[in-house]
Amino acid sequence: MSGFLKRLPMAAGVAMLFSVGATADPLPPDATYRPLPTLPFSTVKAADEAQKAQVLQRQQTLLTERYDTADHPIPNVMMSGGRKPVQAGVRVKLPAGVTWDSLAALSPDQIRERDLLPAGFMPLPHVKQPTGGQVFPNQQIEQMRTLESRNLQRFDVDFDLQDRFTPEFPPPIFLTTHPELGDVSRGQVLSIRNFYETMNGIITPVQMEGLRLLLTPFPQEEFNQTEDRKSAEPSMGVACLDCHANFHTNAAFHLTPDVRPQSARFRLDTTSLRGLFNQQIHGSKRSLRSVEDFTEFEQRTAYFNGDHVSATRKGVNLPDRPNQVAMMAQMQNIIDFPPAPKLDPMGRLDPSKATEQELAGERVFMGKGRCAECHTPQTAFMDNNMHDLKLERFYKIGKTVNDLVMLPDGPIKTFTLRGIKDSPPYLHDGRLMTLADTVEFFNLVLGVKLTQEEKDALVAYMLTL
Amino acid sequence: MRCIIAAAPIAAVLLSLPAAAQQAGNPAAMAPGTAQTSPGTPAPHEMNQQDRLFIELATAGGLAEVDFGTLVGKKAGSNAVKGFAARMVEDHAKANQKLEALAKAGQVPQPKDLDAEHKDLRGQLDKASGADFERLYILGQIRDHQKTAQLLEWEIGSGQDPALKDFAMETLPTVLDHLRAAQGIASQLTGQASLATAAPVSGAATPKP
Ligand code: HEC
Ligand code: HEC
Repeated sequence: MSGFLKRLPMAAGVAMLFSVGATADPLPPDATYRPLPTLPFSTVKAADEAQKAQVLQRQQTLLTERYDTADHPIPNVMMSGGRKPVQAGVRVKLPAGVTWDSLAALSPDQIRERDLLPAGFMPLPHVKQPTGGQVFPNQQIEQMRTLESRNLQRFDVDFDLQDRFTPEFPPPIFLTTHPELGDVSRGQVLSIRNFYETMNGIITPVQMEGLRLLLTPFPQEEFNQTEDRKSAEPSMGVACLDCHANFHTNAAFHLTPDVRPQSARFRLDTTSLRGLFNQQIHGSKRSLRSVEDFTEFEQRTAYFNGDHVSATRKGVNLPDRPNQVAMMAQMQNIIDFPPAPKLDPMGRLDPSKATEQELAGERVFMGKGRCAECHTPQTAFMDNNMHDLKLERFYKIGKTVNDLVMLPDGPIKTFTLRGIKDSPPYLHDGRLMTLADTVEFFNLVLGVKLTQEEKDALVAYMLTL
Repeated sequence: MRCIIAAAPIAAVLLSLPAAAQQAGNPAAMAPGTAQTSPGTPAPHEMNQQDRLFIELATAGGLAEVDFGTLVGKKAGSNAVKGFAARMVEDHAKANQKLEALAKAGQVPQPKDLDAEHKDLRGQLDKASGADFERLYILGQIRDHQKTAQLLEWEIGSGQDPALKDFAMETLPTVLDHLRAAQGIASQLTGQASLATAAPVSGAATPKP
């Protein structure tokens, strides 16, 4: 076939080019599929352990260069469980010589050419980009060690963000089926050991079975029994709620498993499962169309960093769609947002309950700030769409930071803003630490030139949602 | 272990690179018997399979860039394509030099001639003329720069030798810039809407859309 094409006269050069393309050499054989380990487990473990301090130090250096990580809580503002303060202020550091206002006055081209985009607005690398995989915060690791004698610690990396920039732990649980009960978590983190007694009488048999499955550990890329793992002992695996703790999030993170091949994958901050019942698309980039699809695929490929081939040799769990998946979905679908007493049924502030500043914030949100064009109050502050914010207008692409290549994010799903004060860090990769950071981010990205007063009002407003 | 004594001129080139990639990737992928300065840190210029394949493929790509670019200098009509090709010759000649030093340091043999794919394309370019020639060249450039960007990303993630990874990191932004420049010219040549991303191209060869 190719020989025949090559002998054709050079009539249509362009067509010829494509015919050659089809027979051309591909990229390296492991550009798409993950290579298997080449060294024995003990050697890999020793090497990883020897490097761990250096790996963590490098990440800490990046974080302190990007963010002000000091403890400045907003006075009298707690997350929904009432136990953890919400952090105040813009934490992304500015490059020398600019202010937020002078930056916002520049065009995207000027910011790019002068290299002025604050580094904290850029994609956030995983602690160890080439290895990637799931990383759990220490509180989760400790809880699972105590409750289940299950070890979620990795020997190559640790969780990198400070505790003050992660959600309240354990997060409260609100059910759509029992608004009258409020938080049903009893202040504990759900585990396979305590879920039955906690939820007995509150949920249905089908939901209970779904919950059991969501709490049952199954093999995962870094936590399994083969030599291709990052847990010291052969591991029992990972449960869904190890990341979606109490159906919210504990800020565990991952490299996006299956939207790009290994070398270009990006960090993903665990999303909350609150309000899942209202979402039409799932995942920041995957846009799966049902909770069932997402549930099925989490264990099938996401657990294995997107490589279903690698999954098979580690004992992947393929939950049965009509039975198990449906029950897991039914459980997830009754998780509600935290109550927002100042919102009316249409998601608008009730003027008799809101402060002047909060109402001013809503006006900015609906008007000059343009936020509501995507975060529509009536549909739980989403639009069930993905949008390309085109951040690459502001920076030169292709630079590598801690082994992550800075590439355009492309379209990302609009996240809900209901209960938003409960789920730092923000954006799909957790690159922003506070709500004030998100306001500066969108002020720049949307070019809306908000005043300081308007920015403060927006933050005050988002705290009510 | 291979014993490596870096010659002085090689060392000079290597020193000019940023020392960004001191850390090895996932040690699970390290070749057995790799000399290490400390556990998990390969000795300088200890290369894994990926490094070696990278050198081979990147060398082949670099050779073709300079070869085609020189040909375009002689055959093309439009200034946009000529300017682009001149930039390819200049940028890739520089990169090829650096890569050569690194390959020598790691004792990895480099291909000397165009690979089969590029020989084939060169044959077609030789026969084509006028607008056909320019299109064939530019569309080939888009494809080659896409592949090169993938290759560089792959080396950054899977490679082992810090100096080689630094080379890949340093080269990638330029290659992406070339890609967008080629896409810009292609949309000019074909009269189509821009194929490039939102980030405009820097550098002199930028065509005005
Ligand atoms: C590494 C921790 C982790 C584990 C374990 C995990 N998830 Fe997730 N989950 C995530 C992350 C990160 C996202 C966001 C994915 C994205 O943005 O593409 C997510 C997203 C989701 C979503 C979509 C939310 C939305 O609407 O965008 C669902 C549903 C979900 N997970 C269910 C599950 C189920 C069911 C399991 C167990 C089979 C599970 N998750 C296990 C981290 C985890
Ligand atoms: C063009 C549509 C669009 C507009 C307009 C918009 N957003 Fe968003 N918003 C998004 C998308 C898309 C994301 C997710 C981006 C990402 O993760 O990379 C997001 C994420 C957020 C988040 C973080 C959510 C989370 O869970 O991490 C906050 C907070 C936010 N937006 C606030 C605002 C504010 C305040 C405004 C107005 C100043 C605004 N947005 C305007 C689309 C939009």
